[in-house]
Amino acid sequence: MNTLNVHLFDLTTLLFGTASVNYVAYLYGKRETLARIGTWICLAAAVVSTVALGVRWAESYQMGIGRIPVTNLYESLVFFAWSVNLFYLFVEWKYKNRTFGAFVIPIAFATMLFALTSESGIHPLVPALQSYWLHAHVITCFVGYAAFTVSAGVAVMYLMKAKREEAKVTGGIVGLFPVSKVLDDLVYRSIIWGFPFLTAGIITGAAWANYAWGTYWSWDPKETWSLIVWLVYAAFLHARITRGWHGRRAAILSIAGFAATIFCYLGVNLILSGLHSYGS
Amino acid sequence: METASEVRTDRVPASATIERKQTKPVATRIWNFLISIKLAIWMIILLAVTSILGTVIQQNQPPEKYRQVYEDWAYNLMDRINLFDMYHSWWFLLLLCLFTLNLTCCTIDRLPRVIRTVRKPRLTIDAAMEKTLSLTERWKHKGDIPQWAETYRSALSGSFAAPKVTEADGSVHLYAEKGVYSRFGAYATHAGIVIVFIGAIIGNVFGFKSYVNIPEGKEASHLDARGGKEHIDLPFSVRNNKFWVETYPNGQPKEYSSDLSVIENGREVLRKTIEVNDPLVYKGIWFYQSSYGQAGPPIVQVSVKKASGEDAGILSLAPNKKREIPGYGTVSAVNFEPNFQGFGPALQVIVEKPNKVPQQFWLLQRFPDSDRQRGDAFTLGFLNIKENFYTGLQVAKDPGVNVVWLGCLLLTAGMMISFFVSHRRIWIRLSPGPHGKVEVTAAGSANRNRPVFEKIFFAILAKIRKDPSKTNKENPA
Repeated sequence: MNTLNVHLFDLTTLLFGTASVNYVAYLYGKRETLARIGTWICLAAAVVSTVALGVRWAESYQMGIGRIPVTNLYESLVFFAWSVNLFYLFVEWKYKNRTFGAFVIPIAFATMLFALTSESGIHPLVPALQSYWLHAHVITCFVGYAAFTVSAGVAVMYLMKAKREEAKVTGGIVGLFPVSKVLDDLVYRSIIWGFPFLTAGIITGAAWANYAWGTYWSWDPKETWSLIVWLVYAAFLHARITRGWHGRRAAILSIAGFAATIFCYLGVNLILSGLHSYGS
Repeated sequence: METASEVRTDRVPASATIERKQTKPVATRIWNFLISIKLAIWMIILLAVTSILGTVIQQNQPPEKYRQVYEDWAYNLMDRINLFDMYHSWWFLLLLCLFTLNLTCCTIDRLPRVIRTVRKPRLTIDAAMEKTLSLTERWKHKGDIPQWAETYRSALSGSFAAPKVTEADGSVHLYAEKGVYSRFGAYATHAGIVIVFIGAIIGNVFGFKSYVNIPEGKEASHLDARGGKEHIDLPFSVRNNKFWVETYPNGQPKEYSSDLSVIENGREVLRKTIEVNDPLVYKGIWFYQSSYGQAGPPIVQVSVKKASGEDAGILSLAPNKKREIPGYGTVSAVNFEPNFQGFGPALQVIVEKPNKVPQQFWLLQRFPDSDRQRGDAFTLGFLNIKENFYTGLQVAKDPGVNVVWLGCLLLTAGMMISFFVSHRRIWIRLSPGPHGKVEVTAAGSANRNRPVFEKIFFAILAKIRKDPSKTNKENPA
């Protein structure tokens, strides 16, 4: 079943792919124009994917099962890519540096490629998911995920940059990066944005669970993994604020946090799914 | 951005220096252990790592299931250390207790100091203090101190915050601050976590979770035992008036609904149709739509007509039970399809007549006369099927849940405050300088987002310095 929204998401995938190529080529070719084109493509992808989400939403209403398009694997993947792209564009605009793109947009592209392999039909919601809590829960979680993604991408840049700075080597693709202090700051800044959203995501999830079956916390694998992610970032914040963990160690913690995030988001459903069916 | 050095001087307790003196009494050493950030970070890591176990090992399954997966010795070992219900095991609860204790002790240790510095801020700066602040600027003015002090006071009030003015050693000091509550953000978050735990304990001690199945038309006030607790008798009863399932056009379930009445002292005091995600609440007890099932065999009604079209009554059939039609034979219902080959609900029946081969055929609800095509002495019509459901209700009472939400609110608010609100301070000192001039020193500090504050600081200085032509600007940076 290929409806308009799926075609638009396919186009989005193509745009992310092209933008990724542009951003990476910019690092190697050092032509600002390439990165500028990348930015424009990402903006186009933001518009197309936003329209696609709207179209998908409208299409679900036409089918008589109207619901927000964030309720299965396909939809969550495209929504994740959408959030990452928007968060990225904000960072690029704020920091006036386009080198981040090569480390963040390929993640959005890979997510969209993964979405291509998932079933894309619009299906009605099972009774358990029919709740207004769904909107608050999914949106807060994904803003958090997007922020952690950007943080991890920048953490990789930090590690590359710091290595070069230590060796006092200039030039190379790393030469275009902002100085390591700015990267380190951005790793932290993205996390202090993501952390309250993840917290809100966990709380809205708990509130919803309580309203749906009278238990706000049941140590379900998804819940537990969201707590693990929360704890990793809590450790990051305490290590940084009170023990002065900066730079390399902070960057590694951010990458570890991102790995936990991805496991919480996808791993629990795909790997642990045999043990527990979630949300149905 | 927060640098480690500033925070260390601000917040980290004396524990680091105390640790070196091993002669301290045991109580002090325990206390220093409990208030250390190191312990906090270790607790966070330990909780995260141990939590993974319970997501990999399926929890609370019957023993047979584990024995299929694990060898005997592994099963015994894992059972011994409660790995099959680890989140309720003594050692995990111990970890949680230690974590809470650590949080509480950190607060007890640090909060009074923060309150003291907030209530009695440093109103003056001296040379030593100036060195620790990265934002400072000096200039000189003609004129007298009180006049300039008044000018700066009103200017600072307009562009930042109303300053406190103090006089000491012939100098006049102005001190203004904003966002001082940011100092409490982390404590609010930590208190929020402890309150969530308190709420969870209240819920566990004074609440219950249970389950009840109520057939249609029946009422219940007795709940099944769950989670090691005795069964529970409610002070009222709940009647299931009706249960039904709505489906989407493709047959997938759309909604499960129960029409419930609360009966108290023989009177109906509340009636509500509940759905998944829309429970009923009465006297603090919540009823959630959780499952359903067949409470008994469905009853099928079949009309019987003579070939002439004359009514010969209605038969109520239970599945696979033969009913006799006098002067004809027996009929039994053997199968039901909600949508038979796209023709809607249909009933399969078997008609047996003496000395004849039994006939088996479908009756369509939408086509009551379809049986005429058999051309028999009697025709049958499928009128309706009355399925007999019970509704499965999750029943919960949790007097701690609002405490949990309060904790969550505090936790989130505290987090936002501590991340995004900055405690910004500006000091201005006016001292008598050489040649009858006024020497002005301004300094600023912020505990968050310094680059932004730096811009604000210099913008404010530019605003309040009215006479730029006579200034003697120095930038010590």
